[in-house]
Amino acid sequence: MANSEIAPSAAPPVARLIEAFHRLPGIGPKSAQRLTYHLIRMPQDEAEEFAAAILGVKERVVLCETCANIAEAAECVICGDLQRDNSRICVVEEPLDVVAVERARVYSGKYHVLHGVISPVNGIGPNDLKLRELLERLRDGKVKEVIVATNPNLEGEATAMYIQQLIGPLGVSVTRLARGLPSGSDIEYADDSTLAHALESRSEIPSPQTDASS
Amino acid sequence: MTSKRRPVTYTTDGVVVRTSNLGEADRIITLVTPIHGVVRGVAKAARKPGSKLGGHLDLLKHVSVSIRETRTLHGLSQAATVNGFRGLRNDLDKFSRASYVSEMAERFSVENGANQPLFRLLIAVLASLETTDNPEMAIHFFEMRLLQLSGFAPELSKCVETGVVLEPANHLYSADRGGLVNNESRPVGESALLPAGLNTIKLLRFLSKTDIQQAGVMKPSEGENRQLSRILRAQIHHVLDRGLRSEAFMDEVRSRPSHNSEAIAPDNSVSIE
Repeated sequence: MANSEIAPSAAPPVARLIEAFHRLPGIGPKSAQRLTYHLIRMPQDEAEEFAAAILGVKERVVLCETCANIAEAAECVICGDLQRDNSRICVVEEPLDVVAVERARVYSGKYHVLHGVISPVNGIGPNDLKLRELLERLRDGKVKEVIVATNPNLEGEATAMYIQQLIGPLGVSVTRLARGLPSGSDIEYADDSTLAHALESRSEIPSPQTDASS
Repeated sequence: MTSKRRPVTYTTDGVVVRTSNLGEADRIITLVTPIHGVVRGVAKAARKPGSKLGGHLDLLKHVSVSIRETRTLHGLSQAATVNGFRGLRNDLDKFSRASYVSEMAERFSVENGANQPLFRLLIAVLASLETTDNPEMAIHFFEMRLLQLSGFAPELSKCVETGVVLEPANHLYSADRGGLVNNESRPVGESALLPAGLNTIKLLRFLSKTDIQQAGVMKPSEGENRQLSRILRAQIHHVLDRGLRSEAFMDEVRSRPSHNSEAIAPDNSVSIE
């Protein structure tokens, strides 16, 4: 049904599309109208491609049975890659975090997506996360390290602590991504916990390689 | 006549009690403040690594922040941490309790409702939770004082059914009626009466008059603690008309044996050999 409040004078199909865009996160009524009228002006073949892409996502995308990442089959591309290191699992909050870590091109292990973090005030507890599946993956003893890459905020830290207490006693090494000052920032504006973490994780400045003897 | 209006932009202290993501990199922050009650505002680009705001506006931080009022969500800027409560951030048990406290503070606050005593109480209890070895009593103190500040102080000296001064003995507690009920004048058909032993009643009276330091000195038995929890929570549920979301996680963390992976594994979890 067209939403008359958002687009009272628009034709019903247009109003319906505006309403559909408006339901997306971060899209206000003005943006919804702008996107709709952009689509109206779009060539027919591009619009069909766009619609097919949306349908394709809904019809073909599932959660990987191993790591709970977005996949096109029961096993995602990363879990199916035999070249990757099976002894390390990087635990992330959301599928988009896998994309972010992959972008760094330094990690060759596997992933596990929790689909959230522990958030008591929002009623999200450990049972709402994919922690049971993570424990299942540790059964065969092949995994030597679990890297907890939840966001560096209080809920992410609490989830990391919970995971450490859950699987630490199993003999699996549990590590956390380093925290500190972001590149390009001013110390003056850093908050106390970021500065404290940066100080705790300080490292020695490597000596310059002197080639004077050569 | 000129109407008295708050300035469009002001700086206030506040405790971050809730956060949620907005758009690509913004964050909605909910603060409990002393003068303006609950304030919800947007911290622009707070989720980006280089953000000047993100680190300060994390959950359970006491901050000073500049707020620009708008008709909908306010704009937040120039945040600085007053107290980061670091002791709550590296201990799961303390985090769970502090979450419970902050959720209660939010639920008992209203927008534009000044409540300086509540804010001072929140700060004091979060600071106490950081260091205390008796967090149960810190929580009970908060629950009791919050009820008092909100005008729902439990009646602990007279029977709420008959009005008669209670003798020192075991009695019952009625959250519906907001106080103790004489064991002998139990109302017919009243099903939600909770047991209140003599020591529990003494502890409730003590909590209603003491400060947080003195409350931390008391070491009730496990049974007395359980009775205190049930009575104070029942009263809070009655006032709020529902329970608190953070209770389940706090109870789970509190009840689990530490360093026992099977005991803390989520429901239906597999056993690990």
